[in-house]
Amino acid sequence: MSASEFVTGEVDLEKFHKKLEKRIDGLVELGLIRPIDYEYSDKKDGKLNGLPFTLKDSICSKNDPTYAGSKILEGYKPPFDATVTKKIKDSGGTIFAKTHQDEFAFGTASTNCAFTTPKNPWDKERCCGGSSGGAAGLSAALDLPHINLGESTGGSISEPASFTGVVGLTPTYGLVSRYGLISFANSLDKIGPISRKVEDAALGLDIISGKDFKDQTTVKKETNYRKSISEDLSGMKIGLPTSYFDIAQDEVSEVVMNAVDDMRSLGAETEEIELEMTEAALPAYYIIAPAEASTNLAKYCGMRYGMEGEPDGNFRNYFSKIRGKGFGEEVKRRIMLGTFTRMAGYRDKYYLKALKVRKKIINDFKRAFKKVDVLAAPTAPMVAPKIEEVEEMAPVEQYKLDKLTAPINLAGMPQLSVPCGFHKKMPVGLHILGDHFQEEDILRAGHNYEKRRGKIDYPEA
Amino acid sequence: MSEENVKIGLETHLQLLTDSKLFCGCPTTGNDNPNTRVCPTCLGMPGSRPRINKRAIEMGIKVAAALGCETPDEMNFSRKTYFYPDMPKNFQITQFSIPVGTNGEVTMELDSQEKTVRIKRVHIEEDPGKLKHIGGNITSSDYVLIDYNRSGVPLCEIVTKPDLKSPEEARTFLRKLSEIFEYLGVYDTTGEATIRSDANISTGGERAEVKNITGFKDTEKALRYEIRRQVNLKKRGRKVKRETRGYDDKSGTTKPLRTKEQEADYGYIFEPDLTRIELRDSWVNTLEKEIPELPHQKKRRYVDEYQLSKEVAAAICSDFDMTKIFEDIINKGKNVSIVANILSGPVKKVLNYNEIRLAESEIDEQKIIKIVDMVENKEITDRNAEMIIRDIAIEDKDPEDVKKEKGLGAVTDDKIDDMVDEVLRENEDVVEDYMNGKGEALNHLVGKIMEKSRGNADPRNARDTLKKRIEN
Repeated sequence: MSASEFVTGEVDLEKFHKKLEKRIDGLVELGLIRPIDYEYSDKKDGKLNGLPFTLKDSICSKNDPTYAGSKILEGYKPPFDATVTKKIKDSGGTIFAKTHQDEFAFGTASTNCAFTTPKNPWDKERCCGGSSGGAAGLSAALDLPHINLGESTGGSISEPASFTGVVGLTPTYGLVSRYGLISFANSLDKIGPISRKVEDAALGLDIISGKDFKDQTTVKKETNYRKSISEDLSGMKIGLPTSYFDIAQDEVSEVVMNAVDDMRSLGAETEEIELEMTEAALPAYYIIAPAEASTNLAKYCGMRYGMEGEPDGNFRNYFSKIRGKGFGEEVKRRIMLGTFTRMAGYRDKYYLKALKVRKKIINDFKRAFKKVDVLAAPTAPMVAPKIEEVEEMAPVEQYKLDKLTAPINLAGMPQLSVPCGFHKKMPVGLHILGDHFQEEDILRAGHNYEKRRGKIDYPEA
Repeated sequence: MSEENVKIGLETHLQLLTDSKLFCGCPTTGNDNPNTRVCPTCLGMPGSRPRINKRAIEMGIKVAAALGCETPDEMNFSRKTYFYPDMPKNFQITQFSIPVGTNGEVTMELDSQEKTVRIKRVHIEEDPGKLKHIGGNITSSDYVLIDYNRSGVPLCEIVTKPDLKSPEEARTFLRKLSEIFEYLGVYDTTGEATIRSDANISTGGERAEVKNITGFKDTEKALRYEIRRQVNLKKRGRKVKRETRGYDDKSGTTKPLRTKEQEADYGYIFEPDLTRIELRDSWVNTLEKEIPELPHQKKRRYVDEYQLSKEVAAAICSDFDMTKIFEDIINKGKNVSIVANILSGPVKKVLNYNEIRLAESEIDEQKIIKIVDMVENKEITDRNAEMIIRDIAIEDKDPEDVKKEKGLGAVTDDKIDDMVDEVLRENEDVVEDYMNGKGEALNHLVGKIMEKSRGNADPRNARDTLKKRIEN
C-alpha cells in the first residue's frame, strides 16, 4: 500500500500505528532515524489522515530535538516549526522521527554524521548516500506508507535515493519554503520528499509547496502535482546529456539506457544533448556552497543554543573552544574553504567567478530545455559504495559523487531520481531533470516509467 | 582647533524610525525588559530567515534622495562576517556592492560660509544587540549580559568623503545630518535616539580609524583628542600608524583596537535569503515627492519671505517642530518678527538649557500664541516672556497663570516716571557721580528701578527716562 492509497483509502489507524511502532527499533539499529515523541494526528479531513512523516535532522519541528547531524546542536529543541513541518501538521500528517544525515548536510555518503552512519538496507556494509541518507534508507527499509522530507543542496536527495533504490524529488528552488530549515547554502538548499513511489513524492510536494512570507525566495504556484502525473508520455521529448553517460560507470549507464528505452516504448522521443558546462559545475559548487555555509555556521559558538562550555578567556577563546569541539572534520574543512574563497583578495577570483559560472550553467540548461521537455541521465556515477571505501576516499573523491547532481542543483531546477535497475545487486537511479517549475513533466515521466518498470522487491529490513 | 592638514571622514549611523525591525516583525520600541522584543529571526536561531521591511527601504530611498545621491535600478543586501557576542548570527546583514545611494552631498553653513561635504554612500543595515558589562568596563567587567532587543533595528549609514577639516566641522555636519533626517520623518530626535559614528582622521600622514563614538559632543571630543595625539606623535618625530582605535567616553581618549595587519576581513557574500530589490522609477518618484522642504531650503525661504535674519531663521529651522509652530502661528496673522524672536530667542534658549527638543517640552502652539499676544499688547516685557517660558517648558502650565503667579507684567510709562523720581531722590550721590562723568553710575540707577519694578520694567525705557530727567 502506498502513501497515496493510505490517504484516500480507509485505514485502521490504530492497527497501523502498532505496526509502525514495532518497526522503530529496527530502523534505529540501521542508523536511519532518531525517534521523537509524537502523537498520532486525529485529523481526518481527507488530506493526510495521520500519514506518517519523517524530517531530515536539519528541518525544525517545535520542541523536538533537531541537530542537523551535528554535536554542536546536540540537545537543541527549536522553539518553532519549519513551514514544511507546520504544513504537514496542519494537513493531518504525523511526524514520528528525524532522519540521520551528514553533519550540516556536508557529505555524499552520510559518513560525516556526528551520531551514527546510516546503513544501506540492500547491503549493510554499504552507505545510504548523502546527505539525506537516513531519509532515503528509511524509505527503502520501511514497507509501510510514509513520506520522508529530505533536503538537497548539491544532490542530497537524488543521490541517496539512487543508492537506496527509492524515489527522491528535488523541487525548483523557491517552490518550497526553507523557513525552519537549518541552512547549508541558502541559495542552493531545497526541501523535497523521498518515498517509494513517484505518486507519493507528488503528494508530498502538494503538501509542502507554496509561497511563504517567511521565506522571500518562495513563489506562488497553483498546481496539483499528484493529478498531473497520470498523463501518458506520448510526444514527450527527452534529452540525453551525453557527457553524463560518459561520466558514469559503463554498467550504470547501461542500466539507465535500458530505462530510457522503456520510456521510448511508452511514446517518448529522445535526442542527444550537449551540456558544455558539466565539468565546470563541481568546482563552482564547491566554492559557492562552502562560502555560504561558512557564514551560516558562524552563529554556532556556544551561546544561545546547542553545545555549551565553561566560559573562560575572552569570547574569542570561548567561541574557538566550542567550535573546535563541536564541529566535525568535514565541517571545519568546508568552513576554511568557504572563508578563504570570500576573503578580500580572493573574492573576485573565486566567489564572484563561481557565481558567473553558475549563470552559464543555468543558460546551458535553458538552451537544452528549448529543445526537449526533460533530460534523462544516471543520477550518480556509481552504485552505493561500501562505508569503509568511502571513509578511505580523499575528500575530493567523495565530492566527485556529486558530479552529475551538482549542475542541476546549481541551476535551481527540479530533478527526480527513480530506481531503474541494479548493478552488483545494488540499485541504480534514473535521473529526470526539468526546467524551472516544470515539476509536472518530470513527475509524469517518472510515474509512467515506474508503472512500466513494475514493483521492486525491497530487502527485508 | 585648526590644523592645516586635518582630514576627517565620517561613517555615521542613524536609527530609522520604523515600527518593526528590519528583517522581522518585532517592534522597535516598547517593552524595555531585556530580550523581550525578540523572535527566532532577530535572535538568529537556526532555520530562521530575514524578510525585508519595506518601510525601512522607503526611508532609505528618501534619505538617499534628500542627500542628492544616485539610486541604483536594483539593490541587494550582503553578509558582513565577523564574530562578536552582540551579533546573533555572527554576521551582519548590510549593503555592500549596491547600496541604496551613492555620490551625494550635504551643504552646511560654517561661520556664514557655505561648505559642501561629499557623501560617498548611503546604506541600510541591521543593528546588533547591546552588551552590558557588569562590574567594570570592557576589559575589567566580571561578566557581560546581552540584550537583543536592539538586534535587527534598522540603521541608515552615511559615509562621507574626507571633506571635514576640524572637529567643529564634524559636529556641524552631524547636526545638519540629523536635521535632514528629522525633516524627512525617518528619525526620532527625542528620547534614546543616538547618532553613532566611526571617524577616519589623518593629519597629513597615515589615517587612523576611531570607532564607536556616540553623539555630537563626543564626536567633537574624540576627534580633538585624536588630532592632538597625532600631532604630538609627529612633534616627537614619530609616525602615525594605520590602525583602528576605539573611543572611550569615560576618559575622553582613543585607544588602539587593532593594527592594519590585524584588520578584520569581512568576507562579504550576497545575502542569499533576500531577493534583489528593484527600485522602479515610479516607486522612487513617488517617494521623492513625499520629501518635504528641507532645512536649507526652508531657511532660505524664511530669510527671503519673512525678512528674518539668517541667525533667527537657522535657529528656528534647527528644530522641525518649531518650524511647524512658527508657520502655523504666522498663518494666523500674528506679528512675524515677534513670533520669530520668541521662538529663536527665549524658547530656543530654554530648550537648550534643558537639553530637550520642542517635541519633548510642554510648549505648544496655543501657549506660544498667548505669549506672543501678551508681548504684542505690551502686557509683558521680553524678559517676562523668557521667565514664563522657563516655567511652561517642562510643566504643563498656562502662560497667563504663570504671569499672575509671578506678578509679571510690563510697567506703564506713568509708573516708570514715578519710580524714576523715587530713585533719583534716594540716590543723590550716585546722580552726582554720573554728572561728574562717571557713565557707569547710570547702570546702578537702572538696576534700582529694575529692583523696584521686580523686573517688570523695560530696562531700555528706564535708562532713557533716567537720562532725560538727569540731563534736563
